[in-house]
Amino acid sequence: MNAARSGAPTAGASRAFAAAVLGALLVAWFASAGRVPAYVLPPPGELANALWALVSTGHRLTHLGATLLHIGAAIVIAFIGGALLAFAAHYQRWSAPAIHQRMSPFLSAFSGIGWTLLAAIWFGVSSFTVIFTIVAVLLPFALVNLREGLAALDAELLEMGKSFGRDAGRSWRLLVLPALIPFAAATLRIMFGVAWKVTLTAELFGGGRGLGYVINVARQDYDTATIFAVILLIILAVTLADRLIFAPLERFSTRQFGGRK
Amino acid sequence: MNPLRRPAGLWFADALVILAIAAWSYGASQLPDFVLPGPLAVGSRLLALFTDGEFLFHTLASTLRVLGSVLLALLIGGGLALLARGLPLLTALINGVLQPFLSAFPSIGWAILAAIWFSPGHLSIVFVQVAILAPFCLINISEGLRQIDRELLEMATSFTRQRTRIMFRVGLPLLLPYVIGSLRIAYGVAWKIALVSELLGSTSGLGFLMLRAQGSADLTTVLAACLAIVALFFAGERLILDPLARRYATR
Repeated sequence: MNAARSGAPTAGASRAFAAAVLGALLVAWFASAGRVPAYVLPPPGELANALWALVSTGHRLTHLGATLLHIGAAIVIAFIGGALLAFAAHYQRWSAPAIHQRMSPFLSAFSGIGWTLLAAIWFGVSSFTVIFTIVAVLLPFALVNLREGLAALDAELLEMGKSFGRDAGRSWRLLVLPALIPFAAATLRIMFGVAWKVTLTAELFGGGRGLGYVINVARQDYDTATIFAVILLIILAVTLADRLIFAPLERFSTRQFGGRK
Repeated sequence: MNPLRRPAGLWFADALVILAIAAWSYGASQLPDFVLPGPLAVGSRLLALFTDGEFLFHTLASTLRVLGSVLLALLIGGGLALLARGLPLLTALINGVLQPFLSAFPSIGWAILAAIWFSPGHLSIVFVQVAILAPFCLINISEGLRQIDRELLEMATSFTRQRTRIMFRVGLPLLLPYVIGSLRIAYGVAWKIALVSELLGSTSGLGFLMLRAQGSADLTTVLAACLAIVALFFAGERLILDPLARRYATR
């Protein structure tokens, strides 16, 4: 409770403490080399080598590219699908119960592993299987979030729009779309986070390419250093993308167009 | 509600569900069983998952582990959030380092590492599930702690100096909606994502059952296990989470 009141010095001390703990962990890790089997905890040098091999060799880079492609394609497809369903339920009221009370809860409750294993049987080991799985998992997130955006539309504002002109397309473009942008940005951010949680699993069990495939091979070779390297790479990528792309996007769109209170 | 005055949309929704099952049934009659088994076969296997001894063992193993993991994740995530709030020295370490690290950690990564580090068994699986679920609880409860109305706490301080009394009478009730929210998120993620923990180095659970069935092209069991997860998810929501939310999370 005192954190906010006492201000800067505590924040500085807290950051210094965090750095100290991380430093101590790093020292302990260096010291562990030779005492712990490398397949349990690879020493820092070995991890650095694995990390370098991952980003410098051509065919491993293609796996990184494949993973990014899977995630990108799935986010785009799930977002469009979720948006179409949300719009359908909003503008054709009779379809709302079918979409929001039957389809959305069912999809929300369906397990990601289930989709992976089913898709692997139905479509074989392929990128299609991976993208299908991620889309199936992401679709309800997109649907639920965009529904909230549509529900939050200001009815009075739309009425005012009608009093200024009868062109529905124009009021849609100038009033509805801008009001939805903050929700779209938040939705994309959530989808990106969830996508990373399922993509590797899907690639491991249903894909012949991607980082999930790399960890699967490494796992069979007891190559723990490569597993650590992939995990580290993902943590970096997710954290950086979230801080540098999605958080600013959400902040900007909320500031520009308003958002949920 | 009077069944005759039910909105047309609901009739349409139910008609669509029946249509989907009919389409499934027709598709299954045209396709071999290892591609798409029929609704009846899957339905009876689904029933077996909750009644037949061997299947029930897997269902119970998953259910109990999920419940245990969700509670542990809530304790650990909530504990970390409280620590970050109560000890300013730890704030940067927990909210700035640990939380983003755990949030970004790939779930299958935990499963593989646990398979390397620990001997297979319940503990290894629970470890993976808690590692996946804890950051969700940490984020939610931290948010709750941020949202607690400072003025209300101040008012409480003007009535009593007993900090434990303030905590239990004012702080906790304000935090409860977020605790329930954490439970809800963790419970959903546990069934949908954290079951990956049962795919590697496990000999029990619905995840293990699905993987084994998939290996022998027994799609009936895979689909039945998927539906069992859907059913268990809804049962938990309706029987545990919704009543808890009604009881404690209303403001």
